[in-house]
Amino acid sequence: MKNTKKIIKTMSLVLVAASVFVGCSKSNTEESSFDLNSDITVVARDSASGTRGAFHELMKIKVKEGEKEVDNLVVGALEFDGTDKVITAVEGDKYGIGYISLGSVSERTKTASVDSVEATIENVKSGDYKVARPFLLVTKGTENELVKDFLSFTASKQGQEIVESKHYISSVENSAEYSASGLSGTIKIAGSTSVSPIIELLQEAYQELNPDVTFEMQSNGSSQGIKAAIDGTYDIGMSSRELKDTEKPELNEHVLAIDGIAVILNKENEAKDLSSETITKIFTGEITKWSEVLEK
Amino acid sequence: MVSTSRSNNIKEKLMQYVFFASALVSVLAVICICLFLLMRGIPAIAEVGFLNFIFGQKWAPVDTPPSFGILSMIVGSLYVTAGAIVIGVPIGIMCAVFLAEFCPVKLYKIVKPSVNLLAGIPSIIYGFFGMEIVVPFIRESFGGNGYSILSASVILGIMILPTIITISESSIRAVPETYKEGSLGIGATKEETIFKVVLPAAKSGILTSIILGIGRAVGETMAVVMVAGGAVMPLEKIALLKPIRTLTANIVTEMSYASGLHTESLIATGVVLFVFIIILNTALSLIKSNSNKN
Repeated sequence: MKNTKKIIKTMSLVLVAASVFVGCSKSNTEESSFDLNSDITVVARDSASGTRGAFHELMKIKVKEGEKEVDNLVVGALEFDGTDKVITAVEGDKYGIGYISLGSVSERTKTASVDSVEATIENVKSGDYKVARPFLLVTKGTENELVKDFLSFTASKQGQEIVESKHYISSVENSAEYSASGLSGTIKIAGSTSVSPIIELLQEAYQELNPDVTFEMQSNGSSQGIKAAIDGTYDIGMSSRELKDTEKPELNEHVLAIDGIAVILNKENEAKDLSSETITKIFTGEITKWSEVLEK
Repeated sequence: MVSTSRSNNIKEKLMQYVFFASALVSVLAVICICLFLLMRGIPAIAEVGFLNFIFGQKWAPVDTPPSFGILSMIVGSLYVTAGAIVIGVPIGIMCAVFLAEFCPVKLYKIVKPSVNLLAGIPSIIYGFFGMEIVVPFIRESFGGNGYSILSASVILGIMILPTIITISESSIRAVPETYKEGSLGIGATKEETIFKVVLPAAKSGILTSIILGIGRAVGETMAVVMVAGGAVMPLEKIALLKPIRTLTANIVTEMSYASGLHTESLIATGVVLFVFIIILNTALSLIKSNSNKN
């Protein structure tokens, strides 16, 4: 009796230890080699994300056929609800490819250039790097004094400095110096989760100059923000995508900044440059292996 | 004398109402949630069309025209849960048997608290563990990209262990000593006694633990989102090593940005999930009433 128990115990211990070692040793030997014939792991954002909307439209993953609009993202693509998860997925998977806002690019992954243009702030500014989208502030009808003043602050020298400090690209040429207006009241802002971090910083700076102004903020996505601006429940809507044709006539647009979208790869991937055509093919599933990209 | 008994009476009555009110809170909460789900979800299901919604395989909420089919996610939830059961139930029941019948007291003092601790770990931690350890392990050992039904099953299998172990253990302990003595007395070995006498006698408790485990696995969200990959797969392409999206994952990934019918259809996804849970609870009460009869 006692012996059987002992044997079972040792066996289970050995089993656990063995499985751990197998896992480790395998990962050690495989990590150095990049198998071109492995399947590409496509990492995308969830379908309601502004980044996804912009990227899929720019890269022709989402196509219009007359009245219809279809997103042809490859079946089996991973979909995550945040930039950090996209980065983690691409960082951990040698064969991964994903896209994130240029401001979120870090050392953890490698950034591919698109059509031989590197994804840098300068190239986005000059318009050479095509994968970019505007960050918009939208309002409806004539703005009141306070809203107008805040908007002029966001476009001012101080405002655009904050925009650039977050690695977004300033959209205003020769911005003017802003001086405090001494107004008071409340400004209600809603919309894109990508834009709201900058707006929060802008708010703080604005409140230092105009302490009597308070803000109500809600970050609930571009579409919600645009809707809130149209129906008047919020003064300003934040959007991280271009306005749709149906939305345009109803709103005033103020471009706050321009954000590039970077295509990220695992650090072990040898690919450096991808043509936009290749990117489209990868994300729509026409290309499924890195060998088709690299051995050309 | 009379006056104190009267004041006691009043106190008693008062406390009765307090208890009643407390009971009412939970009932009210359930009713409110039901109403919210049905009032927001049913119109969406009606607008999409019941059959299109339940049996549609295409989920493309931002296409024009949009498609809202959740069959892939229903199947995904079932697969992931089944995987969790396959992994979690045998380990859980064996562990319960060990704890109840074989475990030396010294070891019990280590194993039991660790099982309890397992129950207390927040699901986001399980998710992190899954994303950083389980996903790469499965990628290296079995291929694919690691975000898969298998990863989700492994994580959920671990997560349902405490539920299964705790309830199974107490039901095994509740089996009368005379059953075992009788079995051993007629010459059965200890192993035979456990598998042929004790476990069948503890059947209803073990089944209860499994159903509660299923409930936990079906409803788990955060950890699954982080390891399952979130891809909406057509039915014929669903595989053990391929990514998957479950009902809960669908709601949590898209809720923050959704608008209009998209939001409503996510709430409708919640209605389907709710129906799942109601079915499980019904099964649970059936088991209980059966075991009471016996």
